[in-house]
Amino acid sequence: MENTDDYRIQSFDLDTQMLLKTALKDPSSVNLEKVSDIIVDQSLKDQVFSKEAGRICYTIVQAEAKQNNGTFRRNVLNRLQQEFKKREETRGRSLQEWVCYVTFICNVFDYLKVNNMPMVALVHPVYDCLIRLAQPDALINEEEVDCLVVQLHRIGEQLEKVNGPRMDQLFFLLRDGFLLQEGLTSMTRLLLLEILEFRAGGWVLSGTAHKYYYSEIAD
Amino acid sequence: MSDWTRGRRRDANNSEVENRSCGPSRGSNCRKRGIDGSLRANREVDGSGGEKGEHTDGSSKHSDKRHDGFTTPESTGPVSRCSRQADWGSQVDDDEEMRRGVHRDMQRYRRRILGAEVTQRERKTSSGSSGSCDSKEGDHMETDEAVLLRRQKQINYGKNTLAYDRYIKEVPKHMRQSGVHPKTPNKFRKYSRRSWDQQIKLWKVKLHGWDPPTEGGQDNVLDNIEELGLGDVMDIELDFPNLPDSQNAPTTHSISLDGEDCLGTPVKVQKTESTVEPEMA
Repeated sequence: MENTDDYRIQSFDLDTQMLLKTALKDPSSVNLEKVSDIIVDQSLKDQVFSKEAGRICYTIVQAEAKQNNGTFRRNVLNRLQQEFKKREETRGRSLQEWVCYVTFICNVFDYLKVNNMPMVALVHPVYDCLIRLAQPDALINEEEVDCLVVQLHRIGEQLEKVNGPRMDQLFFLLRDGFLLQEGLTSMTRLLLLEILEFRAGGWVLSGTAHKYYYSEIAD
Repeated sequence: MSDWTRGRRRDANNSEVENRSCGPSRGSNCRKRGIDGSLRANREVDGSGGEKGEHTDGSSKHSDKRHDGFTTPESTGPVSRCSRQADWGSQVDDDEEMRRGVHRDMQRYRRRILGAEVTQRERKTSSGSSGSCDSKEGDHMETDEAVLLRRQKQINYGKNTLAYDRYIKEVPKHMRQSGVHPKTPNKFRKYSRRSWDQQIKLWKVKLHGWDPPTEGGQDNVLDNIEELGLGDVMDIELDFPNLPDSQNAPTTHSISLDGEDCLGTPVKVQKTESTVEPEMA
């Protein structure tokens, strides 16, 4: 845990970095509501941070649990919930913020477990977000598609385990999008095809498929 | 977001608890806590022997960090924790507490069973009698976490009522007669889904006999049960054959008990000599 580079906090000002480092070591000594707000707010703005913000949350939650505290986790979850409620508005205002939000909530889902099980409260909201990203008006935007496939790579298998039918529902949309939707860029189609193959292979890409999608084409 | 998704999410977040003894809003006097969030008096702590698998569960204990009632933006004051948890923070806290509770219960139950088995064996060897089937109960207990959690939630809903509170105050464990007094179903025993759900329903019906008096006059549920000639039926530990969960309990008669505003779900009771009718597809 000592290497705080893992938490990508360089984008914060030095005082805040200090605060976060203290929170990681001794949560009870800081204002955890403030810390959780800082982390959530930054996750909504900073794409780099949002990709791994779950990890710093995890560490703080572990540390506070040892001190018999649950403030930080509760606050993060409730902030997530607030943002979830106005996600459509957020998406309308700024695609980037919306994408950051989805990245963050998926990251939290990935890292914060309860007795080694995913948080039940987050399952449907995460699905709601991913399914939103699979709608026709979202598939048009490469950044939304990219977010979708990245998250599915990270947490798809876990999500399917806790709720198979909704994953099926999501993939119906992805197949339809891939086959029927006009106006998709070739990159989008590539991403969609890859994720379809990925899931079909049991959340693993076969060797040949991997070569197809990920090798540099020597010229 | 569509209504469908909203509905489904609610189901998932509250698991499969259809039988909520916290009933309709009129039945607020059945809940362990009033709408103002004020806490009812503390329950007695579960002591020795008696019902297996019954422990003070997470919903009655208050870890220091939690509020007795909390205020949501929509409500005008503190809201009873018995009502649906709207915020994710509480949902996760409660879920964690329940999982921990179930694991703790499992360990205690195992220890208890092992202890009982040892004593039984010792008694048998000294008296020279042959072993009985009970001695292996520890090998056949339910350990599936998902099942245990679901059952625990159902039990919590029953225990989180004023009726239960009054009951355990009124009738200490050593005074309880089997058949007459409600007994919490043992979540560690192997039962089919249907059998378990039915046990829970019957248990909660019995508990309603201890509901606090309402303005409209309280019909004693136990009187109703006797009147309907169901006294014997209520004692039978129902063990249905293992059928898939999706089927409903086959009944020929569906009897709802009158005057019970607190009942969240109508109670279907099977008469002993009934014939099984095929399910309507």
